Amino acid sequence: MKKYYDILYNGIIPSNPVFVLLLGMCATLGTTSSAHNGMMMGIATAVVLLCSNVVISMVKSLVPDKVRIPAFIVIIASFVTMLQLAVNAWLPSLNASLGIFIPLIVVNCILLGRAEAFASKNGIFESFLDGLGTGIGFTLALILLGGVREILGTGKIFGAEIFPEDYGMLLFVLAPGAFIALGYLIAIVNKIRKTC
Amino acid sequence: MNKLIISLSPHIHAPGSIDRCMWNVVIALVPALAVALWTFGLPALWVTLISVGACLLTEWTITKFMFRRPCTLSNGSALITGILLAFNLPSILPWWMVIIGAIVAIGIGKMSFGGLGCNIWNPALVGRVFLLLSFPAAMTTWPENVDSAFNATTGASSQVDASSGATLLTHLNSGDTSLADYNLLDMMTGHMNGSLGEVGGLAILLGLIYLLVTRTITWHIPVSVIASAAFFSWAFGGNPILDIFAGGLLLGAVFMATDYVTSPMTGKGQLIFGAMIGLITIIIRRYGAYPEGMSFAILLMNSFVPLINRYCRPAIFGAKGRRNQA
Amino acid sequence: MKKLASTLPNMIISLGSITVIAGALLGWMYSVTKEPIALQAQAQQQAAIAEVAPEFNNNPEEDKWETTIDGNTFVVYPAYDNDKLAGAAVKGVSMNGFAGEIVVMCGFEADGTVKDYRVLQQAETPGLGTKMELWFRDPAGARSVIGKNPDKTSFYVSKDAGGEIDGITAATISSRAFLETMRNAFEAYREYEKTQAAKK
Repeated sequence: MKKYYDILYNGIIPSNPVFVLLLGMCATLGTTSSAHNGMMMGIATAVVLLCSNVVISMVKSLVPDKVRIPAFIVIIASFVTMLQLAVNAWLPSLNASLGIFIPLIVVNCILLGRAEAFASKNGIFESFLDGLGTGIGFTLALILLGGVREILGTGKIFGAEIFPEDYGMLLFVLAPGAFIALGYLIAIVNKIRKTC
Repeated sequence: MNKLIISLSPHIHAPGSIDRCMWNVVIALVPALAVALWTFGLPALWVTLISVGACLLTEWTITKFMFRRPCTLSNGSALITGILLAFNLPSILPWWMVIIGAIVAIGIGKMSFGGLGCNIWNPALVGRVFLLLSFPAAMTTWPENVDSAFNATTGASSQVDASSGATLLTHLNSGDTSLADYNLLDMMTGHMNGSLGEVGGLAILLGLIYLLVTRTITWHIPVSVIASAAFFSWAFGGNPILDIFAGGLLLGAVFMATDYVTSPMTGKGQLIFGAMIGLITIIIRRYGAYPEGMSFAILLMNSFVPLINRYCRPAIFGAKGRRNQA
Repeated sequence: MKKLASTLPNMIISLGSITVIAGALLGWMYSVTKEPIALQAQAQQQAAIAEVAPEFNNNPEEDKWETTIDGNTFVVYPAYDNDKLAGAAVKGVSMNGFAGEIVVMCGFEADGTVKDYRVLQQAETPGLGTKMELWFRDPAGARSVIGKNPDKTSFYVSKDAGGEIDGITAATISSRAFLETMRNAFEAYREYEKTQAAKK
């Protein structure tokens, strides 16, 4: 049991994809203009990661080493495209806010990184846990970053007003604010991890 | 006691210490500050005091509680940042925005990188651009009728844009060409609208002369910025005099671009640096969405300083051949 | 299970079968979602028309009429109430926004008075230009365009000569682009009226 717990926990804090591994920065910086958008992007990525991890773990012995990267990419890209079509068809409001970012999940390094580093070497259940843990870690990080940017930028959190929008620092909603907020969050998370 | 000291660059031009250079800059800022107070009255004083106070307090807090290093307030660099930040703000900016700007300037612009000497960008400009992007409405709202009282008492020619509450550059950017009646003397002596520090061209030039005489800075950066801005303004079909004296170009060229930490070390590098600032400023003013491009231009070129230093490395004394090999 | 060796046949078979399976899955997904996606897009369009246009009992999308103003295509969705022209929803575009194009669905009454509008697409600066969805319906000052007729009111920002609409603070470019779309949409509606009158 301890082993499984460790796999799950590892993706959430000790090797958090955003704050520790610094993977998938494009999606991280681009979609976190609000906590809600960050959460949705995190969940979408987590779903694809979970599916691709399980499938890659299933076919790992059928894929020769020399073609493993193209094979993984095809699998990941299929899941992303299916997700995109599904969101387009059944969740139009999510499509409006995240439409252009969903295809970007394909090139998110987290997916290929976990496929290479974990799913292609471990069993199906372990890969499932790893995908779940990393997905949760990614989602939490995006919610945190999106939340900080939303509060500082517009005075709201998940759309609920904390202070009037006139006092919000617009910069945090724009691209430069994403970099500044991410930098300070990484510093704080590292500080906490070292002292714990 | 003429000891020959051999050391690695950077060589400080002026004799003496960091403190002395910094205090020289403070003295050079006084005339422009006086013009700002005269033009905008008490609000300008409050903005300056709040900005300086918040900068000093931020620096003190961070050095004391986060760095746990000796206090660095006495070297005057935080004071300069505070004054320069205030110079870049409209006099009617709400007080809490000034404080945010000061915290960003010192906290993010300077201390994040390790304090004085380690920062990549000019802290005051980091603060200004942060505010400009965060509160675009407040940062481009200028007081109306800034010195109507002065005009009434002296009968001086009426100001171009006193009633509209917009700066000359705003007019230029919006394609308004009816500026034939601007008055160079007015622009030189603080009879125009804008941020605190950019209205007194003559006072800034006075500060420049003081800095040059005391050899606090060299001529390379201010001259190349102004010359390049004038040239490209003319080349893009603008009015060079208007481009130099309206807006923050002089202020930036004399006080911001010349910041030791964020400008190139060699004369040649400084000329390239200044020329590029002039070019970028004019491009932003002509084709960009913002009326003023000086602060963006300086920050952009600040980022290039390590590269410029790399390619303008002076030859090693006595060395032959390719100097970049060093 | 032992890992397959990297021989050429193995690689071709493995990669080939993965691609075929993935392709089959995608094809299936596409066929399943095709209809909902088309319905979704149509529903959005219809909702926007119904929101901004006056009461109608025809099908505006069937009666749509296109024209080109300043190089941009404007689509007029006329609203007929018992065969009488009650107004129209006009989908207008401006390329002069601060960032990218602005698409607005503008609703007009029969006499050209602005009934309502919806911003369908824009990429303006968050917190500034993006305010346009709410700003130009705000009754404060001279901000609102609703209930005003471009024939009688000058649809230019009040900063520009003769303008009678207050632009968004610090977002003059976005405001100008929005009002330009409005003006051209009105123009398109007038053109449509003329062609209809000529038919009769």
